[in-house]
Amino acid sequence: MAPDRNDPLAGPFWQAAANSELRITWCEHCDRAVWYPKADCPQCQGELHWRALSGDATLLSWSEVLAPINPDHAPPYITGLVCPLEAPEVRLVTRIVDCEADRLRCDMPLRVCFRALQPREGQPFMAPLFSPC
Amino acid sequence: MPQQSIEALARRAPVPDWGQSLPLEDTRGEVAITGIGETAVTGPSGRHPKAMALEAVAAAITDAGLRPEQVDGLMVAAGVADQLTAEDFHEHFGTSQPLWFSTDGGAMVWAATCAHTAALAMRRKQARHIVNVFAVDWATRRAAGTGTPGDWHASEIMKAHFELPFGWYPQPVYFATFARRYMHDYGLTAEQLAALPMTFRRHANRDPAAVMYERELTLEKYLARTPLADPLRMEDCCLISDGAAAWVMSPAEEARDMPHAPIAVEGVGHGRVHGAPYISQQRVITATPQPFAAPWAYAMADTAPAEIDVIAVYDCFSSTALMQIEGLGFCREGEGGEFIQEDRLYYQRHRRLGGIPCNTHGGLLSHSYLLGISHVVELVKQLRGDAVNQVDSARVAAYAGFTADEASTLILKRGN
Ligand SMILES: [Zn+2]
Repeated sequence: MAPDRNDPLAGPFWQAAANSELRITWCEHCDRAVWYPKADCPQCQGELHWRALSGDATLLSWSEVLAPINPDHAPPYITGLVCPLEAPEVRLVTRIVDCEADRLRCDMPLRVCFRALQPREGQPFMAPLFSPC
Repeated sequence: MPQQSIEALARRAPVPDWGQSLPLEDTRGEVAITGIGETAVTGPSGRHPKAMALEAVAAAITDAGLRPEQVDGLMVAAGVADQLTAEDFHEHFGTSQPLWFSTDGGAMVWAATCAHTAALAMRRKQARHIVNVFAVDWATRRAAGTGTPGDWHASEIMKAHFELPFGWYPQPVYFATFARRYMHDYGLTAEQLAALPMTFRRHANRDPAAVMYERELTLEKYLARTPLADPLRMEDCCLISDGAAAWVMSPAEEARDMPHAPIAVEGVGHGRVHGAPYISQQRVITATPQPFAAPWAYAMADTAPAEIDVIAVYDCFSSTALMQIEGLGFCREGEGGEFIQEDRLYYQRHRRLGGIPCNTHGGLLSHSYLLGISHVVELVKQLRGDAVNQVDSARVAAYAGFTADEASTLILKRGN
């Protein structure tokens, strides 16, 4: 299933990805990331903005999916959690690409790239994925 | 011991800073489990969850030496399968008494916390004999293509937008990701992790009621299996089952005159991670939220891991079972891989032999996937001395419940 770019809360992430940008919600007042997006900042109730990130990150952990346990994505593929440089407490769920699983190491530096993902049903969509630097 | 205040319990139960304990009042010893009941646990049975629930409830009421009209409280789960209502109860048993009803029961974390909720209801004189029941038909529904345990995850809006599009779904993928990090941080190997599914399987191989009774698991067989989501193999993941279980809770003073030795609820704990319910955002991914639940339960029960004879941990995955054992305090975080070796979880490894018998019925990995309610029923059997894999002179038991972003702890003690 493709994400809904028009969803008021989550859509801006996917609109940014379509423009090859990685953006997450940020409270300017508290100067910190708020992830996943919320209607307002849980600390100060202030407005959140979609801030563009550099795309540099580190690999928190990953799993290579080897069996057809996911209804939308055919194995094998590598999915995982990465921590963006500007907000290391945030975990972006993503795909790790252009790398064999046995070369991956926790905490290794990664760089964003934008690729189309094709779910079993629905249109392909541009998504921020990561690969080793 | 006099009743402890919430403040006193909080002081005795310090927790890490990435989550919190929920403030439960001291209800030590107020409630006892006085009856248990189970259906057969199976693969696809075609049975309706309500039919299975009623069978388990009837067995539990009989086991407690009660008649259905003496039951005046019913606790069920919210949001999983099609659970019983008060009307179902009355229609089936031909009764009409007022029935205190709560959806804070069932399995998972609620298999522990329902005992606390029941104690408060008894204090308020809302009920005397309360049945907690849980039924599930996921084996039937999966076979029919009408439902899976991942349905809630797929429908939650943030997960649907930020996790599912990348294929970080279903649950084995989450916990494989966490297990990989644990392996990196603490050097856990696949051979070490195998001790968990293998020990639980050996328990199931001795119990004809367990789904995996006839299926032996060797290390060679385990290691030869291609992971589903690396590093988790099929044997590291829970079964999918049909079945139901139930128990009766009664006031401690009445339990003394009922047929079985009363099994007293000594302590209950309930904790939650910050950032809930999104475990992708949990600050520490190498632990479950059990460290936010167990200390409170130990403080309420005025006990410690060293005094516990047998445990049952929510083992949706082998790696989460390992983390739950650490979270209960039987070893430090990161030491679990070493700790579970040498049959230390096997039912014959009594505490005085340096073990802690764990999931003596086979757990979610090898008994059945009833989401933890069978774990508590097994502990009651252990404390009564009626278990298939009976731990020698078991007197105190602990259940570790888990529901992704929450954990719970239930401490039971055999009365006289
Ligand atoms: Zn703010």
